[in-house]
Amino acid sequence: MAISRRQFLSRTGLASAGALLGPNLFRNPWMQQAMAATIGDRYFVVLFLDGGNDGQNTIIPVTSSLRPAYESNRGTGPGGIRIVNPLVPATPMLDQTGQIGFHPGLHSLADMYDDGMVAVIQGGGYPDYNLSHEVSRSIWERGNPFSSVGTGWMGRYLANSGYLGSDIPAVNIGGSVSGDFVQTATSVLVFDRLNDFGFPYDYSYSGDSGTKDAAFTALHNAALANGNAAMQYLGGTGNSTLTATNQYPTLHDLYEADRSAWSDQYQNDTPAGLNTGTARGFREIAKVIYGVAQGAIPASLSARFFELSNGGYDTHSNQGADAADGDHYRLHAEVADSIKLFFQDLADMSSGAPMGSGLANLDSKVTVMVFSEFGRRIEQNDNGTDHGSQGPMFVIGGAVNGGVYGNHPNIDDIDDNGNTRYSQDNGNAFRSTDFRDVYGTILKHWLGIANPLPLLPLDTDFGYAGVDYWTAPNFNMGFLP
Amino acid sequence: MPAWNLPTARHLLRRTGFGATRVAAQALLDSHATLGAAIDALLEFKPSKFKPGGRYVEDIHNKWLKYMIKTRQPLQERLVLFWHDHFATSYDKVGQVDLMALQNRLLRVNCKGDFKALVKAINKDAAMMEFLDTVRNRRNQPNENYARELEELFTLGVKDPLGNDNYDQEDIVQIARAFSGWDYGNKGAAEFNDGQHDYAADYPERGPKRIFKVRGGFGNAAGQDFTSAGEGAQEIDTVIDIIFQHRYGPGLRNTVADYIARRLITYFAFSDPSASFVESVADASSFAGTWDIAALLKQIFLHDDFYLTAAPPSAVTKKSVKWPIDYVVTTVRLLDMKLKGKYQATQGGDYRDARSALINMGQSLFEPPSVFGWDWELAWLSSSTLLARYGFARDISNSRNGGATSLRPERLMDLSLTDPVAIVAAVADILGVDDQLSAGERTALINYLTDGSGVGPVNLLDDNTRFEKLHGLFAVVLQSPAYQLQ
Repeated sequence: MAISRRQFLSRTGLASAGALLGPNLFRNPWMQQAMAATIGDRYFVVLFLDGGNDGQNTIIPVTSSLRPAYESNRGTGPGGIRIVNPLVPATPMLDQTGQIGFHPGLHSLADMYDDGMVAVIQGGGYPDYNLSHEVSRSIWERGNPFSSVGTGWMGRYLANSGYLGSDIPAVNIGGSVSGDFVQTATSVLVFDRLNDFGFPYDYSYSGDSGTKDAAFTALHNAALANGNAAMQYLGGTGNSTLTATNQYPTLHDLYEADRSAWSDQYQNDTPAGLNTGTARGFREIAKVIYGVAQGAIPASLSARFFELSNGGYDTHSNQGADAADGDHYRLHAEVADSIKLFFQDLADMSSGAPMGSGLANLDSKVTVMVFSEFGRRIEQNDNGTDHGSQGPMFVIGGAVNGGVYGNHPNIDDIDDNGNTRYSQDNGNAFRSTDFRDVYGTILKHWLGIANPLPLLPLDTDFGYAGVDYWTAPNFNMGFLP
Repeated sequence: MPAWNLPTARHLLRRTGFGATRVAAQALLDSHATLGAAIDALLEFKPSKFKPGGRYVEDIHNKWLKYMIKTRQPLQERLVLFWHDHFATSYDKVGQVDLMALQNRLLRVNCKGDFKALVKAINKDAAMMEFLDTVRNRRNQPNENYARELEELFTLGVKDPLGNDNYDQEDIVQIARAFSGWDYGNKGAAEFNDGQHDYAADYPERGPKRIFKVRGGFGNAAGQDFTSAGEGAQEIDTVIDIIFQHRYGPGLRNTVADYIARRLITYFAFSDPSASFVESVADASSFAGTWDIAALLKQIFLHDDFYLTAAPPSAVTKKSVKWPIDYVVTTVRLLDMKLKGKYQATQGGDYRDARSALINMGQSLFEPPSVFGWDWELAWLSSSTLLARYGFARDISNSRNGGATSLRPERLMDLSLTDPVAIVAAVADILGVDDQLSAGERTALINYLTDGSGVGPVNLLDDNTRFEKLHGLFAVVLQSPAYQLQ
């Protein structure tokens, strides 16, 4: 019998996930140590492909039993989006149907796959798939298809880990906090460019900033000394915020001073740098990691969790096939090339670093997860594809156990809406991968949460049971040790 | 009841509106002989039928924002915001802008009337029906979502003030049956689909349509029959009638009355009010009999405890954190400014639109994070959300291009003042915090104004000085801890 919302909330402590620890616990060394022991020296990046990435043209049947179905649904010639020759990595990629390959735009990802750094997770999704961009994205971000929850799954992780309002454990590249990081316990810094980030001073009278800082600090110190709890909280958090706005831009300066040649590779077009939005986003993350790994800014402000996104995946038309100037090709290349450069940058940061130091083995301390809000239908329309259901996810990094996980969705048996069928039936050769198993495996094997279930309620908790629903978690999928 | 004087008048206006200027407070004091008369005047407005229009959620957001900035009945909008949080419904799931706008009007029209009638209207509100799955509640696939939240959040609360459960799972299951078959048609009009309704005769295995066999102080183990006024469409009204008779504790106090009184006090005054504050206002207004929201509000505003957040912050004062929407609207109103155009943007800097600022502060109107509404008080404040407030303050103070969308101190204060002490007092007064600042905070502001010397004279008539230091002083105060509170 489904438990009541009340029972669920009290059992998981989510009711208090938004409640703050009192201001007296600003600096609790025990808490800090507990947090450090949990995530150690690790970093985690979420990359969201916005618009519904066509998974069928991301991981493609080669000599798999599904190749005929792929070919009969996707044509060649003008408007055709069939990938005639998927890119096969040197290490053959095999799933339950035979050999599969990458879209040629993902050649950088194929290189990393050969290095054992890429886990390809097929059939990622959830039951009763929703094909609205906003709703499905929200489901992925909240980690919950069945209930209205006000927090993101990474937000619940942060709240659960004891971070305070004056701490900064996470950075989102973009204009606002991403849905998966939403919570009310702690701070997620948001910016597009580290160099532009700073305290909002007057645009015209920058000479006044010093006096403004002095006033701000004096007011917030007075608040800290006030007996009122709300004032104390404001005093502490305000001061931390000002510190963060001063400290974070120094990470830009540090990276540019030490690694300007690498910076150019993300940005410039001569010599040919990547010069894409995704590349620039990864560069900003690299800047933060480079500084945090060396202890360049206070520990409480040192972000380890990141999010960025790349848009344009809603390819209802003009999707393109394997030609390098096609829309989907360019999206794939942008993402794969950026990730490869990012990990090369991290590996280079680590070269020569003393063993056990913050900079050592950075490429194995960073894990990247890539997802989209849904895949697209196997049947193409005029020259593109419409919203579909489950699709592939990637988990990438030096610590990852590379390979193929999960099953290729059955494109030979689609439903009346043209979508592949989602199933959690263990007897089904095309069994899907519930996205919460992927999140849970990351929470358990990367982020140190021994039991992720309180952060990711089962479908049975909401009264949904049956062969399609997520009723038994698998938090040991194996793509992380 | 506190004395009827200027501080009382100002506090009353501040908490029932969007900021209170000294002039407005003086006018209220002068126009009414007693606190009671002033409260009556504030509560006697006729609720407007305003409905924000537009095609996209940004449009209705900005129309509502503009309306709040302009309104002469700010208490009305404070109430609409409260009900929007209380009956939290998100466009994120509803997906239809016109339904969100219709709900907004429903909340406005009913904001201070009969609370029971408001709940009955919410039962049939199309946006709510979408949000909490009433439209998916059918005879052969009952959906409990609305039934649960109706009890848990909208009327009773999970537990009564003494810590006992207010309802059982069985109550939820049965109440869900009352709502089966409801849907909406054109323009959000509620429709009852008889063929989709769960009739007791068709589903004998689901038991009789009776609730509160154990909870609610009804003293009848057979439960309350919600088909007593007939089976079918009437059930949802009868369910409400029964819920509103629910009682708790040895004193058999009315549960809904105390629950709603507590929520309204938490909103207008401070969190965690005493049981005696809650019970006395519920009783004095006979809320459990009349369900008259205005009468309940009057008792809240008359009560001594309502004035506990008036004093400057200290170990003994209670304070409340301004919601992001309060922060934005209060600032614009107190500074007698407008926001620019369709996107309600600030002039200073990049013409950043207010909605983006509000989202970064943690509040997106029409999109509460969940049916639990927003998390209040300190949960509004973190480094990232504070930065959004500081950024808005900078944008407001940087609005210097002239016209109604710029900050024009000449309209707010005497620019011939040269004494920094007087200038700081004037700016603090405009922003409603002059009575909140400690001596140390005042000194910090004076030091800012005089670049550390602490002494004047300061020449505000010099353009550079005014644009840099006076506008800067407004920004510093808007970013101060005291201004985040109320």
